[in-house]
Amino acid sequence: MLEFLGLAISAAVLSGNLCGAIGFYVQRLKITTLSFSVAHAALAGASIGLILNIDPVYSAMITAVASALFLGIVFTRIEYGRELISMAVFSVSSAVAIFAIYLSNVRVLATVSIAVVLWGSLLAITVEKLILLLLILFIFVLYILAYRIQIDSMLYDVKMAEAEGVNVQMHMLIMLFFAGLIISSSLRLTGGFLVFTLLYNPVATSFQISRRAHMQLLASSILGAVSASSGLMVSYILDWPVGATIAIVSSIILLLAYTAKIIAEAVRRRCLSRPYRLG
Amino acid sequence: MRFSEAVKLRNVWVAYSGSDRPAMRNINLTVPLGKLLLITGPNGAGKTTLIETCLGLLKPYRGSAYLFGVDTRSWRIRYARRMCGFVPQDFMKPPFEAYTVRHVIRLGFAPYKSIFESLTEDEDKRIRWVSELLEIEDLLDRPIGTLSGGQQQRAVIARALVRKPKALFLDEPFSSLDKEGRRLVSSVVRDYVNTENASVVIVSHDVNPIIDYADIVVKMENGRIVSGEDYA
Ligand SMILES: Nc1ncnc2c1ncn2[C@@H]1O[C@H](COP(=O)(O)OP(=O)(O)OP(=O)(O)O)[C@@H](O)[C@H]1O
Ligand SMILES: [Mg+2]
Repeated sequence: MLEFLGLAISAAVLSGNLCGAIGFYVQRLKITTLSFSVAHAALAGASIGLILNIDPVYSAMITAVASALFLGIVFTRIEYGRELISMAVFSVSSAVAIFAIYLSNVRVLATVSIAVVLWGSLLAITVEKLILLLLILFIFVLYILAYRIQIDSMLYDVKMAEAEGVNVQMHMLIMLFFAGLIISSSLRLTGGFLVFTLLYNPVATSFQISRRAHMQLLASSILGAVSASSGLMVSYILDWPVGATIAIVSSIILLLAYTAKIIAEAVRRRCLSRPYRLG
Repeated sequence: MRFSEAVKLRNVWVAYSGSDRPAMRNINLTVPLGKLLLITGPNGAGKTTLIETCLGLLKPYRGSAYLFGVDTRSWRIRYARRMCGFVPQDFMKPPFEAYTVRHVIRLGFAPYKSIFESLTEDEDKRIRWVSELLEIEDLLDRPIGTLSGGQQQRAVIARALVRKPKALFLDEPFSSLDKEGRRLVSSVVRDYVNTENASVVIVSHDVNPIIDYADIVVKMENGRIVSGEDYA
């Protein structure tokens, strides 16, 4: 039992870390809408996996990566109606997901597979999936290090980076590709509907904590890992659904950071305005 | 590679998505090597559209645009862009932007870097050279968001120059500069054209004092070039 919990927590730390990191890049590069569509495509893929009786994680990976590449390539080709195409992918994916869940019979509803798709499950975590997560983390870190100057330039100002000859389109495509991989491999933890909380809450919290890009990246990945692992433990102790518990924990962290920032700013303003009152 | 001109626009029409009216209509323009070209005109004339079309950030829906002989629609355009410097009109960063001036200038080298490569000593020297040129040595380690508009503008011009570009595109580079700053930037750019035989395109609605330094002056209005067409 303990061994199994250790496995689950390791997976939560890795998933949270990856989601926090990719959430940061997606947010700073302003491709959040795209990643939203990719996440829903992953959900659709997982649901299709239910019907076809294959591991939903892998079917999710296929649709997520395919939609990421599709959106990335379409966006470099067209200038009109980008948001609409993104929204269309989102709607179609959601519809496919609901249909697939409807079509898979009730007996399936009680199994681990459906839990993965809907609200995440501790039981879905295996050594194989842990290795998959480690592999993704390794390749992602390698990519970030290899292109750190180019990525840095894009984080500072995408338009200037493009005008100076950085291959912005390729890097956007790679980021979306990683978003697809990371989202689909995290599905089993949070479930398809709540994977966004791990993608967006840690980065939102990190923006409250620091203004430096590198600090934000660090904070976002650490917070992702902390939210995922502590949410998992709370859910284990209280016997709550994993995904929802992680969502609640990460939202509480965001709320705390936001409140702390407001208080800190109020105190700072007080200190700054004092000399005037005395004078 | 040899080129006879930095930019060549042939019957170029450009429109923004969602707008039914073209922002630039039937533009013909050639920017020769080693010349300083000034583009003027009132707000909304299409100056920014023109400069961004030269770099291929905007693509013509009719006609063709070439940067160093490369069609801006081609994927090879990024190699042509690596020979260029660019100062956008909206260069200002909010107060919380924590990148230091040195870091921002350094990012100008990003496109030349292969994987895992760091900054070289020569590039460090060039950062010192350009910061002396624009008199921002004392600002190098300050976060760019904490600088004034004029100071930020000098930093971004420094980033464009540090790349030693064969073509320099400056969109309203004087907008936040005081009189001294305008003189300084004008003469720095003029010297750069003379010593490096580079081409410079400056967009500015206010022509003082840069008009004294320009080789060619083109006036735009309503998406068209209304004078200086002999450089078409
Ligand atoms: N993003 C946009 N979407 C739609 N229309 C735009 C956009 N940007 C500019 N335009 C339109 O294109 C025309 C040319 O704009 P442009 O920015 O090139 O003018 P400009 O000469 O640079 O003006 P300014 O002196 O104010 O910088 C204007 O009529 C403007 O309304
Ligand atoms: Mg303009």
